[in-house]
Amino acid sequence: MSYLLRTLTKKEDVDSIIRDTIDKLLVLRFGRSSDSVCLQLDDILSKSEQDVSKFASIALVDVDSEEIQVYVKYFDITLIPSTVFFFNAHHMKMDSGSADHTKWVGAFHRKQDFIDVVEEIFRGAMKGKLIVNCPLPPERIPKFQLLYKGV
Amino acid sequence: MEAQSETNPNPSTVTTERKPQPKGKNTDFEFCKVCKLNHNQGRRHNYFSNHVKSLSSFLSRFQSKLSDVRFFLKNPSLLPPELASHNRFWCVFCDSDVTEHGSSLTCEKGIRHLASADHLKNLKSFMWKYGGGMDRIDRFRFTEADIAKYEKKCVSMKSESGSEQSRGPLIGPSNDIHNEQKFDYVDNFDRSRIISDNSKFQNSVLPLQDYTNENYQVSYSDLSGHVATSTSSYGNQSLLSASDENLSNNLRGGSGLTEGYHHNGLTCQVYADKRESNGEGSSAGLQKLTQISSTFYEPNAGNVHSGAPPPWFSATNGNHLESIKTKTLKSKLNPKRVGAAWAEKRKLEMEMEKRGVLPVDRFDASWLPNFGRVWQSGSRKDSRKEFEVEAKKPVKDESQNLDSSMQLQPYISKRMRQEANG
Repeated sequence: MSYLLRTLTKKEDVDSIIRDTIDKLLVLRFGRSSDSVCLQLDDILSKSEQDVSKFASIALVDVDSEEIQVYVKYFDITLIPSTVFFFNAHHMKMDSGSADHTKWVGAFHRKQDFIDVVEEIFRGAMKGKLIVNCPLPPERIPKFQLLYKGV
Repeated sequence: MEAQSETNPNPSTVTTERKPQPKGKNTDFEFCKVCKLNHNQGRRHNYFSNHVKSLSSFLSRFQSKLSDVRFFLKNPSLLPPELASHNRFWCVFCDSDVTEHGSSLTCEKGIRHLASADHLKNLKSFMWKYGGGMDRIDRFRFTEADIAKYEKKCVSMKSESGSEQSRGPLIGPSNDIHNEQKFDYVDNFDRSRIISDNSKFQNSVLPLQDYTNENYQVSYSDLSGHVATSTSSYGNQSLLSASDENLSNNLRGGSGLTEGYHHNGLTCQVYADKRESNGEGSSAGLQKLTQISSTFYEPNAGNVHSGAPPPWFSATNGNHLESIKTKTLKSKLNPKRVGAAWAEKRKLEMEMEKRGVLPVDRFDASWLPNFGRVWQSGSRKDSRKEFEVEAKKPVKDESQNLDSSMQLQPYISKRMRQEANG
């Protein structure tokens, strides 16, 4: 699926896409294309890319790449797939009731869920909000457990 | 009660009962024709705000009417007898209707009335009675000097029209809305062209003429000559575009002076006013226009005549349209959106990068976006700084671990060691 979307393997590419996406929401999916959940998510992303293209751009980031490790560490990516949102080079958070507000962990259940989330974050960003509430019902939010980094 | 009647039963006669009333006691009522009411306030009434307001509107209404007449004072024109009945006006100071019966020029009688001593007398008494201010009298009448000029113009115009008998009477300038019915009266093309040509002098614009093309070509062919005498040192010249056939013929024949000013190559023609020398002798309505120098233009900039792109399409900047588009987009966006300042800054940077002012690949390996980390409390910048501090530390930790691991030795059982030794 990953051939449908731009896949970034260098820190330089990630930098430039974060900086050059202006007034649009940037969706960065961290994962690897061999993972089954990643494939599921990539499918949803690639199908909805056209629909959200006016206010969002989507890119995949390969976590196995050596140059990306700094971002993997910086974004505290411990589970894949993890989706991080940026707007005007500002990190956008979403409170989805899970432990991690900084990223979306796991795949979306369906295409419309992803579009809703992206739209909600974009609307919040246009109103100056750095964190928004998840528009999805809790049963469609993937559950995961996060361990405190010291433990 | 001595109310004066506002409407004159016989408009053509000057009413004389409108003299200022002798001031009596407060109980005497009098009619204020400005406010259109009877009052017993005496002179105090003039200072009421309502009166002042209605007086100013009253005077301004009449002044707008006068400005129409003043137009014909500056530009005398012939009045076709059929339209004489349309052409009349009501003088509010004299309470008389000034008709144009029997006059050959538009508003002639009106002009003469406004200059008359009677009108001045009535005007003064009006101003005295209703408090318009004596210093404003000259606005509502014509002076002797005006009339003298007017008469001079009339004479010259009549002689002109006499000399142009072949064409029929010259119908004077009329871009005035009051006289546009004259256009209906115009019966042939020739005359209508004269009207339109004359009317532009008042507008002080130079509309496209029938002969513009020809003159344009003439100056084009004479380009080198014009370049030699071109630009920048024009004094005040009366500008006049070639208006009628005689004039333009003269221009082409060389008796009139044609000058073009060129930025690079040919541009606009400026026709010096040689009309008097042609014997047409109408200085009426000509305006003294000042020629500005145009030397500050770049010599090879080109202009609309040479087919150069307009200045808002800068040829050097190919993505200009794009920037316009983003600008319009920007104006719609919320200025308080996330990272608005950053977006503006970055847009400028990107534009500069496109233009080559900034280097495109300014890859900074240490650059990181702001990111609120999972366990972070504090600003997102803090979490980035924290990460940067962390990123430096682990390297040392790892190297220490590496050193310690170097000292560590794999476990080798006694038996194995013995076997090895033995």
